[in-house]
Amino acid sequence: MGVEQAVEQTNEPMLKLAKVSKHFGGLAAVQDLDIEVLPKEIISIIGPNGAGKTTVFNLITGIYRPSSGDIQLAGQSLSGLSPDRVLKRGIARTFQNIRLFNNMTVLENVLVGQHTQLKARILGSVFRPPRVVNEEVEARRRAIELLSFFGSELIERQEEYVINLSYAFRRRVEIARALAAKPKLLLLDEPTAGMNEAETLDAVKYVRRLRDELHLTILLIEHKLAVTMGMSDRIYVLDYGRKIAEGLPEEVRRNEKVIAAYLGTPTKRGQESQEEQEGVE
Amino acid sequence: MAIANALVPARDTRALLIKWIVGLLVPIAVFTFIWSGEAIINNALLGLLGLLGVSEISILIQVAIFILIFYATVIALAGYLVAADSGLRGTIELWIDIAVFVLVPLFLVLSQGLIIGLALCAIIWVVYFFARRRVYKALNYTPPTPLLNLKVLDAEQRVEVKNRAIMGSFWFSAALAAVWLIVDLIFYAVGQLPTTLLVWVAIRTLILPVAGYFLGMLAGAVALRRTVAAKNGGNGGNSADGGGGPASRQSQLQVLSTTRFREEAKDLVPNDLPLRSSGAQRFYLILLVAFVLFYPVIDPFLFGFGTNGRLAGYGDAGYYVILALGLNIVVGFAGLLDLGYVAFFAIGAYTWGIFGSTQLTNVLNLAPINPHLLSALFWPMLIVAALVAALFGVLLGAPTLRLRGDYLAIVTLGFGEIVPIVFLELDAYTNGTNGIVGVHSPSFFGIDWSVVTPVPYYYLILALIAFTIFTNVRLRDSRLGRAWIAIREDEIAAASSGVNLVTTKLYAFGTGAFFSGIAGAFHTAKLGGVSPDSFSFGDSVIFLAMVVIGGIGSIPGVIVGALVVYSINQFLLAQLDTIAADPSSVLFAIKNFIITHGIQGFTFGNIRNLVFGVILVVIMIYRPEGLIPSARRRRELRHTEDEGVELGALDVVPGAPGFESEVRVE
Repeated sequence: MGVEQAVEQTNEPMLKLAKVSKHFGGLAAVQDLDIEVLPKEIISIIGPNGAGKTTVFNLITGIYRPSSGDIQLAGQSLSGLSPDRVLKRGIARTFQNIRLFNNMTVLENVLVGQHTQLKARILGSVFRPPRVVNEEVEARRRAIELLSFFGSELIERQEEYVINLSYAFRRRVEIARALAAKPKLLLLDEPTAGMNEAETLDAVKYVRRLRDELHLTILLIEHKLAVTMGMSDRIYVLDYGRKIAEGLPEEVRRNEKVIAAYLGTPTKRGQESQEEQEGVE
Repeated sequence: MAIANALVPARDTRALLIKWIVGLLVPIAVFTFIWSGEAIINNALLGLLGLLGVSEISILIQVAIFILIFYATVIALAGYLVAADSGLRGTIELWIDIAVFVLVPLFLVLSQGLIIGLALCAIIWVVYFFARRRVYKALNYTPPTPLLNLKVLDAEQRVEVKNRAIMGSFWFSAALAAVWLIVDLIFYAVGQLPTTLLVWVAIRTLILPVAGYFLGMLAGAVALRRTVAAKNGGNGGNSADGGGGPASRQSQLQVLSTTRFREEAKDLVPNDLPLRSSGAQRFYLILLVAFVLFYPVIDPFLFGFGTNGRLAGYGDAGYYVILALGLNIVVGFAGLLDLGYVAFFAIGAYTWGIFGSTQLTNVLNLAPINPHLLSALFWPMLIVAALVAALFGVLLGAPTLRLRGDYLAIVTLGFGEIVPIVFLELDAYTNGTNGIVGVHSPSFFGIDWSVVTPVPYYYLILALIAFTIFTNVRLRDSRLGRAWIAIREDEIAAASSGVNLVTTKLYAFGTGAFFSGIAGAFHTAKLGGVSPDSFSFGDSVIFLAMVVIGGIGSIPGVIVGALVVYSINQFLLAQLDTIAADPSSVLFAIKNFIITHGIQGFTFGNIRNLVFGVILVVIMIYRPEGLIPSARRRRELRHTEDEGVELGALDVVPGAPGFESEVRVE
């Protein structure tokens, strides 16, 4: 990993979260979180249920606004941008419980993903000059090309409504839709949730391929520890909205706080976090 | 000889030929001999020969064209049906269906007029559906699944399909010619057929089979386009997968899930319900377009006197179609509930009303504009009115579109109440409660637009509807249309895919209002004025009912919905008392019964809204997805139960803590 970074010759983080907090009323979902993602890295965020992982994604993509702190993409602040603006800057995402447009076909879903790449306006859509026709043909060709990243199965199902697809296929369509926007940074929210072992292995493979073949930087949330350890360059561990550990997979695996958070008894966990909170105050 | 041989049917084809020739010949014969088909032709012929000496030649030519299209289409349809039929469904079943869905309407429309006749049909159809379901259940009969039809046809079988089409059309037209000849000879013997027409009878009898042969080739081509062809041709039906490379059609069909499979099978040849396949729908469309285009000239033949009144009524129905299509963009595509749509209609109506009358020049103390110029200005003003309405759509949208669902509906409701009141109070410009009168009628190449003949307005509204449909279809299948549907499906996912929620919704509101403005300007022009009480909240609700009943998001559905709701409301319910005045009608008896057994002074006018409401409720209970639902909508309703959990999760407002709560069992 170190070698590759040297080749890239850049230590400028692609994504940087500085002291980001998010409060919902009195509840602190995320507190003083610092995250740095370097180009071409695969970074995982892990943590028990309710640790605030998805909130972090929602903060990055503009669905929520941070209560305090700043989020930067390649040195430019993303604060105050709406989700579509964030996407234009180059961050695409998938969702934990798969938010596809269920009553649209596979192809249409990927075409919506290309929304920012297409230029047709309302009059162009009605009168269809050659420019718009060509754009539309090209968009369809590109959509199929994106689907081909996952083999021929999705291409064969391109006219299928996504609601009729299996869970694993839907995950892939969602990633294809995210890729359609030509992002620099891809956020994957639990890409293996609900999958069986074979499908999970497959998912790990294509996450790696996303970086190696498409040269994407990937930030992902994962719940299955084994999966995370296998594919991440670095790992951030969240608990109760705070970062409790970060580092290489091996380091994180041996970290006592992490073990406690994942395996410890509820009482112990409760005590610990109480201590932490006291410490802060 | 080769042709003659080709026309001799094989045994299994013979059964199909009988099935369809009898099935189609009976309704055609009813139309031709009992109704006015023959009368139309004979009158047109006699007129063209100068023997009748009554009407204008242009009308007769139009009639002739309509008749030509009508019979040619039916003959080709016969060929297509014979070619496309898989033979899986029984002959008797088909004949009963045709009797209920074609013959019954023919007789009812013939005896009761178009609207009442169709209304009665709707009741009979509902009863028929119930009865049929019962009978199926009693007989333990399940219709064969369309999946059985999915066959890859090799070259030989394709030739056979084509031959069957030719045979179908040929034999159908031959049978028609024969029947027609016999009937005409009887008419002649009775003395009802002028001798001059015997020449025509002879020519027709010879021409029909020949025309049938060529129309059959056409029908064969239509059927062939819907067959699944073997990939490499000639190697037999099952070698479809041989080639490698991109997936073949068959293997594609195999991997698709059952639902998708069914949808594909519905339109392919061979087909066990060819009457419903998309190939047959092409022919229906031709018939429908011809009927609508030539309606003003054939109406007197079909329904007798009173053409002008009927045409004017249908012209009114037309602008409701435009309104419903416009609202469908907002509600159906983008999923934004708009309860104040009438506001934009009012804006369009008043825009032309103020400009097209003496209102504006009076208020501004200007010299009145030359009436001829003003009339010509209708055309640009039609677009201006639409743009003004669109502008207000955007203005309304801008502050409100951050609201979601119910809240948005309330704000639009308020807007719909405010706008008509504003127009009412702006007496100086709008003449207050009296409304605007004396709006100039449009002018166009010397056509008479006066109120005496509604024909120009009929064609104007047809053109406007055509434009609206064209635009709607184009928009639906565009980048913008996809964004609208994406927003309706899932706002957060749409935003995360780069769809700007605010602009996209504003486009929806603006476009919807645009069409409403067109309808408004047309309304004013046709009426020759604007009346402030034609824009009430009730109208907004009616527009919404049209969209919902027709099928949210489905363009053909919304058109039908608009026509059905308008017909029920304006033609049927409004005429109940008139019908009840006729002592021979059922309603007369019902009315008497009610008056004698309870309510004094009862009229159907009193319970008009009640009846209307009950009809709407009944339709919604039995067809919640609408009369002609869009494919998406149908699926959505079918899947509601499986998705209960997920849908619930999507309802949470983003920003609320519950929004991202991790409700997983792992």
